[in-house]
Amino acid sequence: MEKSEVKARVVNVIANVLEIEEAIISDEANFVFDLGADSMQSLLLVAGFEEEFEIEMDEDKSLEVQTVGHAVDFIIEYL
Amino acid sequence: MSDRAELHQKNLEKIFNPQSVAIIGANQNKGTVPFDILSGILSGDFNGVIYPVSPGRTHISVLKAYKYVVDIEDPVDLGVIVFPSTVTHMALEQCGQKGIKSVVIISAGFREVGGNGIEREKQIVEIAHKYDISFIGPNCLGMINTDPKVRINASFARQMPAAGSIGFLSQSGALCTAVLDYAQAKGIGFSKFVSFGNKADISEVDLMYYLMRDEKTKVVLLYLEEVSDGPALMKAAKDIIELTSKPILIIKSGRTEEGASAAASHTGSLAGRDEICDAAFQQAGIIRCDHIEDMFNIATAFAYEPIPLSNRVAIITNAGGPGVLTTDTAIKEGLQLACFSKETTKVLKKALPNTANINNPVDVIGDATADRYETAMDAVFRDENVDGVFVILTPQSMTDIDTIAHKVVEVTQKYDKPVYTSFMGETDVASGIRILQQNQIPHYSLPESMSKAFAVTHQFGKLLQKAPAQKIEGIAIDQLKAKEIIQQAMEDGKTFLQEYEATELIKAYGLPVTKGILISSEKEAGQVARKVGFPVVMKVQSLDILHKVDVGGVQLNILTEEDAQLAYHSIISSVQERQPEARIQGVFITRQIPKGEEVILGLKRDPSFGPVIMFGLGGIFVEIFRDISFRVAPLAREEAFEMIKQVKAYKILAGARGRHPKDVEAIVDTILKLSQLAVDHPEITELDINPLIVLQEGKGCFAADVKILLREG
Repeated sequence: MEKSEVKARVVNVIANVLEIEEAIISDEANFVFDLGADSMQSLLLVAGFEEEFEIEMDEDKSLEVQTVGHAVDFIIEYL
Repeated sequence: MSDRAELHQKNLEKIFNPQSVAIIGANQNKGTVPFDILSGILSGDFNGVIYPVSPGRTHISVLKAYKYVVDIEDPVDLGVIVFPSTVTHMALEQCGQKGIKSVVIISAGFREVGGNGIEREKQIVEIAHKYDISFIGPNCLGMINTDPKVRINASFARQMPAAGSIGFLSQSGALCTAVLDYAQAKGIGFSKFVSFGNKADISEVDLMYYLMRDEKTKVVLLYLEEVSDGPALMKAAKDIIELTSKPILIIKSGRTEEGASAAASHTGSLAGRDEICDAAFQQAGIIRCDHIEDMFNIATAFAYEPIPLSNRVAIITNAGGPGVLTTDTAIKEGLQLACFSKETTKVLKKALPNTANINNPVDVIGDATADRYETAMDAVFRDENVDGVFVILTPQSMTDIDTIAHKVVEVTQKYDKPVYTSFMGETDVASGIRILQQNQIPHYSLPESMSKAFAVTHQFGKLLQKAPAQKIEGIAIDQLKAKEIIQQAMEDGKTFLQEYEATELIKAYGLPVTKGILISSEKEAGQVARKVGFPVVMKVQSLDILHKVDVGGVQLNILTEEDAQLAYHSIISSVQERQPEARIQGVFITRQIPKGEEVILGLKRDPSFGPVIMFGLGGIFVEIFRDISFRVAPLAREEAFEMIKQVKAYKILAGARGRHPKDVEAIVDTILKLSQLAVDHPEITELDINPLIVLQEGKGCFAADVKILLREG
């Protein structure tokens, strides 16, 4: 899968979980500091990515992911 | 005060008195810390502007929310960061960009979790330095200012406490909530309430200095788990007491011993960390409390009542038993039962029934009405022989508890003497106690607590009247010589000095030693012994032997040249037999000191308080009874004298049972010189003078044996 496709699907999951506009989701955006994800939403994001990409991520490591760009790279490792 | 400490004092003004506050990382999820912090500020009726910073939200409740703190158009005085630790540095950086200098970091996940948390804490400290920010926390409950002009509850405590004159500072956040709940039940109010968590930037010492200047605070309370800078804490306490007369009460947890058993010197094994903490607090005038109830019993006495002029108390009771119990505890705490004047006795005799006891404790009898209490209180308050009054009540069928409580409030307002109360029981007396508490009359469920609180406030009053200890100047020392000895030993890789070196070192500081010469052959023994002057003592000198007596390395009371030669031979043979691998440098011959009282002096370095001096009488007094005292160096002359008087065996030195008094002044001088040595040479980790032999008054004292340990490298 192309990185651009992964990114598009990641952004879509984020927008749905956090209920925000896709336009404000940049690569550098920090899930907590810039996008306002709280602890529950962070867990929902992990679950959303796993469902979207049909993968199972290491929970501890996935929660260490801080930015959108880092999340894309992290998911690619599982594809 | 350092630049940073001065900056903290300036920035603390806005931490406690902000006109605007940004809650950075706020959300609207009930039951979470960010939500509760915002709710606390809202429900506490904060007299300023609130800005929630919450990316992804336009509003929280009715308040406009901002994505970043830098997006707020107006200036912000205080930032309260509630974001997770992983992004706290980003929030703090933005506070710096926004020009916010005063911050509270509630977030956990820093030094207390180890690993990356330690790095995260370093990072936020660096950011704070970069922008001249001062912050409380991280990992804390937050802070509260009850001043009606401000009213800010930037914490996740369940509610805003009542306003009062007690400032409370705590290292533990969880304890804070328990204290608030306890205080609410007792009707105790606070001026400021702070949980300072990891104290990565603003420390308890900074907060103490702030409370020193705070007009709303009369009493400073602290809960500490660790003392990170003992000398700074002691200095702050001394400054506060000297400049403002505000008492400082501390609960310091962790009374367990550690490391003492592994110590190599006598002082090291005797000086427990907690005993040193006790001594340091006492030296600084800090009142150490055992538990929360103890702390608030004393705190309310200070907060509500004047400090007694002396220790003479009058007890008024409607029951004989509790009167006797209170008398017992009062005497035990060092108080006196006031002897009433003739006028007082006359008034009481006229007003009270024949069956009443008109002497102290005054028993107004079980059927006492409020009027009877009033008459008795008025009479004893007026009496010049009375410095304070204890009012005791037990709930009997005819006792009008509430009216008596009101009467206590009414009468005590007329007099400038302290009154403490104990309405004994629980259910029946509850409403009466509430009346007392609402009117800020100290109430104690047990009479003994009254006595203790009175004794503590009285002692504090005495401390305030004492002139501050004067620094010692003009001790003749040869610092260069001392430095040379230590440097040489350290270059040689030694971690302890041989006795002849240790003797030279303390001699350079004017400590009293006898003449001594190191020899390395049997042939020299007789001649040198004669030169030193009989009788002599001979001791083996070896870097491999710390306890010379254990290997037969000491011979006493040698009277002739022949005996000196024999003693040399005997010492060397014994050591070679018992510790064959020991490298022997020689034998140290010193003049034997005449008989006197043996005391022990020691020095140890405490990780929190630095150099600590120990004193005790030798033999069983130290070994069995642990009859010892400690003080943190440097000491003033009065402090040195007090530490000698503090031991129970002081009476022996003072000349008990017809003995000649010993030269206590000489011990004081020796302690002061030792204190100076400790301050000047941090390389000395432990030192024992055991024994220091004290002769009769005016004849001095001499160090008979000295042991000095040095730090490695």
